[in-house]
Amino acid sequence: MKITFKVNGASRTVEADPEMPLLWALRDLLGLKGAKYGCGIGACGACTVHVNGKAMRSCVVPVKAVAGDAVRTIEGLGGGHPVQQAWLEEQVPQCGYCQTGQIMQAVALLEATPRPTAEQIRAGMNGVLCRCGTYPRIEAAVRRAADALAAKAEG
Amino acid sequence: MLTRREFMAGSGALAVVVSLPLRAHAAAADTGALPFVTAYLEIGPDGRVTLHSPTTEMGQGTHTAHAVIIADELGVDLDRVSVVTAEPADPFRRGGQMGSGGSWGVRAWYLPLRKASAQARDVLIAAAAAGWGVPAAQCRLERGEVVHEASRRQQGIGALAAAAAALPLPAEPALRPKSELRYTGRKVPRVDLPAKVRGEPVFASDVERPGMVYACARLAPVFGAELDGFDKDSATVVPGVLDVVAVPGGAAVVASNSWAALRGAEALRIRFKPTAHDRLDSANISRQMRAGLADGAQPINARKDGDWAAIAGAAKRIVEADYEVPYLSHAPMEPWNCTVEFDAHGGVHVWAPVQTQDRNRNAAATAAGVAPDKVRLHTTLLGGGFGRRLGSDGIAAAVLTARAVGRPVKFFWRREDEFGQGWYRPAQVARLKAALDPEGRVTGLHVRTAGPALAASFSPQGLPAGQLDGSSVQTIRESRYKPSAFHVEWVRVDQPVPMAPWRSVGATQNGFFLECFIDEVARAAGRDPYLLRRELLAHDARALNVIDTAARAAGWGEPLPRGRARGMGFVESYGSLCAEVAEVSLRDGRPFVHRVVCALDCGSIVLPDGVRSQVEGGIVQGLSAVLGEAVGIAAGGAQERNFDTYQVLRIADAPGRIETIVIESGEPMGGVGEPPLPPLAPAVVNAFVALTGRPIRELPLSRHRFA
Repeated sequence: MKITFKVNGASRTVEADPEMPLLWALRDLLGLKGAKYGCGIGACGACTVHVNGKAMRSCVVPVKAVAGDAVRTIEGLGGGHPVQQAWLEEQVPQCGYCQTGQIMQAVALLEATPRPTAEQIRAGMNGVLCRCGTYPRIEAAVRRAADALAAKAEG
Repeated sequence: MLTRREFMAGSGALAVVVSLPLRAHAAAADTGALPFVTAYLEIGPDGRVTLHSPTTEMGQGTHTAHAVIIADELGVDLDRVSVVTAEPADPFRRGGQMGSGGSWGVRAWYLPLRKASAQARDVLIAAAAAGWGVPAAQCRLERGEVVHEASRRQQGIGALAAAAAALPLPAEPALRPKSELRYTGRKVPRVDLPAKVRGEPVFASDVERPGMVYACARLAPVFGAELDGFDKDSATVVPGVLDVVAVPGGAAVVASNSWAALRGAEALRIRFKPTAHDRLDSANISRQMRAGLADGAQPINARKDGDWAAIAGAAKRIVEADYEVPYLSHAPMEPWNCTVEFDAHGGVHVWAPVQTQDRNRNAAATAAGVAPDKVRLHTTLLGGGFGRRLGSDGIAAAVLTARAVGRPVKFFWRREDEFGQGWYRPAQVARLKAALDPEGRVTGLHVRTAGPALAASFSPQGLPAGQLDGSSVQTIRESRYKPSAFHVEWVRVDQPVPMAPWRSVGATQNGFFLECFIDEVARAAGRDPYLLRRELLAHDARALNVIDTAARAAGWGEPLPRGRARGMGFVESYGSLCAEVAEVSLRDGRPFVHRVVCALDCGSIVLPDGVRSQVEGGIVQGLSAVLGEAVGIAAGGAQERNFDTYQVLRIADAPGRIETIVIESGEPMGGVGEPPLPPLAPAVVNAFVALTGRPIRELPLSRHRFA
């Protein structure tokens, strides 16, 4: 079945089993490797992407469900996004496998809650697992990105 | 020691082989018969330096540390240095094997890499000096340029590489003084992070090859069960499924994409042969291990200082406690996968996230039926290791699948098989006894641990009966505590559950046993547990400094808000001494850690921020194990098969604050990746015992009711 949706601003059409999770459509059919397979049940968040601006676990979203929608992946952030910059400034990643999911979750969190409290950061990021233990730096990086985005908005 | 150098014809690159003094590398490399371009500090015509690192980068930061060592000693800007993981060859091996573990990545390679860089620097300078007709001693190498100040000449190392390669290398080059090191000891950004933050395809699972197909494994739910048979049609009815291949321990479902392979693997009707342990469960294992603590069991001696029987006989009081910990899963975020491609010349290419290059290359060669030098092992960056990628249990099936289908194959496990295939941190029990004199001083310690032998499962050679499994007594056997008598012994209780080293290995469980027991002894004697540790370490200034530093920074003894308590743990492992103090409370009846203070004496360091990052990671992973991790065994297999049931710590439960104090004592460089983890469990558990007054002798805490 042919399914068309926007990926990082460009219209893309995939020929896929409509039940195929978005994750595999992105990775295997569109060559976008940023979203990762971690659990397949939406429990770890390594596959997190945005669908119409909302963070979703792409391993449990059938590709048919995003027909006509706007999908944003880590590749669509461009590399210089304030959240990505904050991630580098805080030197967050260790192995890095979960970090694209962490970053996409953080971007969605800050779009919905530009000045999150510590509690809101922890609640908002709780769905994305990190096995290396980078949580303290994730928290610091989200705070730093929030400050940078606020400064940008004021400037 | 420099063992081989080679001008790489056509590339204009200077290549210097680096080798460890631990195992002198001689004939093989000098024949020039190394099968691959490896082991080199390559200097390209553009002046870029590529280091083929002996270590696997799995997040611990050794590639950056190695880049810093090279950049400083050679004299180039850090952003001109690239690092790749080498392919196996003698210069990268330690003890005959290439691999990353035991927190050796920086401490083993620091001097050999500096020396190789110094040799390269000296011949580059010599080449420039000869060209200019000036004495080499008047030239220096800075920021990638050889400079002769008197004549105001300079030349980039890229243009000098070819000439330098023809010069003899100094056997003992002088190392730069500390004042000339620009990056060592400073905050340096990690070389691998920009690509990771951009989401570039750096992992094995991201590798794509032309004509590649995808293969998802379906593996036995019972440890070690063999394939009996499968109904191929049950999988091939799934659209996209191309084939089903029998592999060790199960089958591989081959398809045109990952999703079809996954669905096919789930749909496959498959049978496994019965095993002798089809009914094994956790209660059963626990009973067998605890029987090892009873008087009739046959212990193997690990440490016998003084006369425990005499000391115990004379004691005013004996304190005794039993402890137990479960199997743990490494749970790296990237499930096992690798990509295999046979080329037209009988070679086999493998892209894999492995910690042991020789072990995996040899396993691939055996499966392919070729000599090891026909296998090109490309180690990618790893989506986590923690010891799980030290084995080679996933390679053969991938190679056999690729051979069967005659196309490049990306072979992967479902998360359920990543959790189910074992190679866990061993379960273990312990009985500890302390003899106290009338003043409440500890005069003797007696420790018996019992459980399965890690070495018997993990080591290719196994473990002969009657031999000690070092990891089963690790850190207790070597403990710096010095009562008059200290006996340590171990009872082997084999189980059919596969095991592998788990970050910090035996130090995790044994650190928990001994350090929680020290607190129990202190409570029984009515003494402060920190001061009791001081007494047991009175002879050891270095250890005292570590626990004092942690206690001071944590405000040990100062009043806390109501409902909070502190606990301490002190464990030495992998050449480093580490003390941690945790501050805890119950939040809505659930354990929460507000603050962890860590004092780490690792001798000396290369990357301060890298050390801090490893301390934070070790503390978080240690807390994860304390709070919720356990692999339950039922019907001969693992019960927890995904992150919904295997409870890896989430950010909401991460410590509120982590404070790291690195002590550069000038002692030999110690490890950093593992030592911060073991003290965390006792620090947290001791704090909760102090808070509630109730003993905790089993992990994880999710099994305890605090309300």
